[in-house]
Amino acid sequence: MTTPPVSDVDLFADEVVLDPYPVYAKLRELGSVVRLPRNGVYALTRYDAVRGALADWESFSSASIGFNPAVNEALTGTSLASDPPVHTRLRATLTENLSPRALRGLKGRIEAKADALVAELAARGSFEAIDALARAFPLEVVADLIGFTGHARENMLRWGQAAMQVIGPMNRRTVESLPIAGELYGWCSEVTAADLAEGSVGRAIFDAEARGDIPPRTAGHIIHQYLGAGVDTTMAAIGNVVALLGAHPDQLALVREDPALVPAAFNEVLRYWAPVHAWGRRATRDVVVDGAVVPAGAQIAVLFGAGNRDPRHYADPDSFLVGRNPADHLSFGYGPHGCAGQGLARLEAHAVIGALARHVERLVVGPEVRVPGNITRSIERLPVLEVIPV
Amino acid sequence: MRIVLDRPRCEGHGLCEEAAPRLMHLDDEGVLVLDREEVGEADAATADAAVRVCPVAALRLV
Repeated sequence: MTTPPVSDVDLFADEVVLDPYPVYAKLRELGSVVRLPRNGVYALTRYDAVRGALADWESFSSASIGFNPAVNEALTGTSLASDPPVHTRLRATLTENLSPRALRGLKGRIEAKADALVAELAARGSFEAIDALARAFPLEVVADLIGFTGHARENMLRWGQAAMQVIGPMNRRTVESLPIAGELYGWCSEVTAADLAEGSVGRAIFDAEARGDIPPRTAGHIIHQYLGAGVDTTMAAIGNVVALLGAHPDQLALVREDPALVPAAFNEVLRYWAPVHAWGRRATRDVVVDGAVVPAGAQIAVLFGAGNRDPRHYADPDSFLVGRNPADHLSFGYGPHGCAGQGLARLEAHAVIGALARHVERLVVGPEVRVPGNITRSIERLPVLEVIPV
Repeated sequence: MRIVLDRPRCEGHGLCEEAAPRLMHLDDEGVLVLDREEVGEADAATADAAVRVCPVAALRLV
């Protein structure tokens, strides 16, 4: 058994969060687990190490999913930050209205919405893909589903972005986002059923609380997680769909020829560009990862994107190939804490990819603009210069 | 070998059904049904693929 190798990489430096893939490759070559003194973390880099740790909640606790103490404190008591057996009950409450079972009835409506929006954008001939599609579509879907209106609806974008940003270390980005994340937290601690649209999932959660099916004052927590975890990441994924299918017309052509490839295309988009850069865990004991010892109490940084490009698991990992259908990619996490909203994310993204395949022969995309972010890696602006229609 | 389902963990994502449609399916309510729990050598690779793609680790092979 050995001590993990050490690297002086700063995981949250601007140039790293803008394009982490060269750094991921370097760390992956050093070892399955690499100690990063500048961030005070042990980074998990290779596919098997990432997936293994996500499955092993007994060795890798979720009590420290964030990279600063304030956010971990604020998340205490949520399913995101708890371990079984407490987690099991909280997770069930969270997913009751969010599992694919619960969402089955929504599929047709979400597909119709995506189709209308993509058809309208394609008819314009050129458009800015992030605001007009990658943000607009999930914001509308989530607002309608949870029942956000008025003040909350207007603030979903900035609240959702800030909620992810503050999971990073206590750097300038986190400090600047804390007051905005605080607004969301404050709103969620005061929200009542009357603030949410009638017939919405948000209302149903309050009804469950009133019936005593879930503990008092948990409805606000759940609403907070829907918005905090589900908005920014989905927007990133849909922006990546447009950018990658635009940059790889041969891959879009494959989906057009065989629409059964839509789920495979989304899996490959998620594998190729992970929406979440780093996520925390804490070692509950000395854990051996691929022969190296991670000491009890260590803060872990799980690098989903590094695992997704591990050549030990995926052949030719730096190529974007929808036909590989990497259904076991790590971008939704894995295991007991696997993304609770992945069913909804799939509905939305499949609807968008399907609509693009129907309405677009090819997209000519300009250079993407990115802004550094601690946790979510997303495109800020993406010009579609020309739509070659079907 | 045998496929074991941790029923409370299953959320009905359905990726296992795509990987192994002859071994399992989601019913009309979106609840997973194991059509065959005991699998022989011929279906071992398919069963393993279904277990691997479960995003919440609700399936295992024993």
